[in-house]
Amino acid sequence: MDFHKNILQIDSKSEVQRICLFLQKHARAMKRDGVVIGLSGGVDSALSAAICVKALGKDNVFGLILPEKESNPVSADYAAKHAKELDIETETVDITPALEAFGTYEKRDKAIQQVFPEYNHECKSKITLPANLLARDAFNFFTLKIEDGKGKVKSARLDKQTLNGIVAATDSKQRTRMMHLYYYAERMNYLVCGTTNKTETIEGFFVKYGDGGVDIEPIGHLYKTQVYQLAEYLGVIREIIERAPSPDTFSFPVSDEEFYFRIPYETLDLLLYAWEHKIPVEEICEVMDLTQEQVKRAVRDFDAKYTATRHLRQLPPALA
Amino acid sequence: MVWQYGRRVFWFGHNEDRRTIMVHVEAVREFVVENFLFGDGVNLKDDTSFLESGIIDSTGILELITFLEETYGIQIEDEELVPENMDSLQNVARFVARKVGVSRAGEPQDS
Repeated sequence: MDFHKNILQIDSKSEVQRICLFLQKHARAMKRDGVVIGLSGGVDSALSAAICVKALGKDNVFGLILPEKESNPVSADYAAKHAKELDIETETVDITPALEAFGTYEKRDKAIQQVFPEYNHECKSKITLPANLLARDAFNFFTLKIEDGKGKVKSARLDKQTLNGIVAATDSKQRTRMMHLYYYAERMNYLVCGTTNKTETIEGFFVKYGDGGVDIEPIGHLYKTQVYQLAEYLGVIREIIERAPSPDTFSFPVSDEEFYFRIPYETLDLLLYAWEHKIPVEEICEVMDLTQEQVKRAVRDFDAKYTATRHLRQLPPALA
Repeated sequence: MVWQYGRRVFWFGHNEDRRTIMVHVEAVREFVVENFLFGDGVNLKDDTSFLESGIIDSTGILELITFLEETYGIQIEDEELVPENMDSLQNVARFVARKVGVSRAGEPQDS
């Protein structure tokens, strides 16, 4: 297979047409009248909405904006602005009361207080993996970073119990959004449109029955860099295209790279493509100007994440 | 074996070499087999890569770290969490031996 730096370039026009046919086919097959889509203010949901409008018509696309008190305020603003450009109907529902009723913040804070007893509602928090995998090798261990509200930052490596406590509480944000999306979808006889891209799917960067709980994934075959290509083609607003990708889940701002991927998207996607297509290491090194050690490090990381998150991509096992 | 701060801590004097490493290998093997392999350690060799074989994932490494810190009374720094130190039974054993201050012929002491 011919591997080169531009291998991820796609014909935007024909790709959009292909996805539109896909959406039309499955909406018909599932006898649904349209789609509900959660608009996060990020490029994936913005692109997904734009394609859905092209495929199904703007009157059959409903945008749901679901901020909570720790969301970046620009997220809802960008989502609303993009929805206005698409001329689709939207509704904004603040999910903070639902999260508070479930105890999301309380559960998360209790877990954090195992490490930092002083953590309170004035503080901010995030979790990160070791930076820049290609520059320096390290296992995937999570570090908790908190900011005390006055600019002072502290960090500590997490043990399994505390990590699980933080992740379980935080994942309830995405699962709460799923619940809201399905309420509207079922009421309107619509599909819930997913917004997970291929980079995220391969590496398991989505929440089981959270943002992974959807009826259809129109961009699930696109690497992140390809998402940007199509977003440019379809005229997604500049603010969204230029915004640094982020899970927008933690009160302390964190990028996708810091939180999970450890490699910038432009390099990551090419390496993932090479990994997926079993391109020989020597060829990867030559095309991408990387050392064998760097490529092997990346491949090892992909193998580990793909294996560990396999269950996210499968239906629950059952006996025949 | 000695007790330190109420915890069992493995300590060996000078000139413990291959035997020391083997003791650590077996201790870690027991932990890995029990916690990650459901008691079936038949295919776990001393140089089996935990990552490549999928035996230990990212949360698993956290459990291993906790086990090593509590068992050996050591503090493992973030910079030390690299495959060279942690990615097989023998790598872990050598790392632990260095951390508890045991020298092996030809290897520098950990500072």
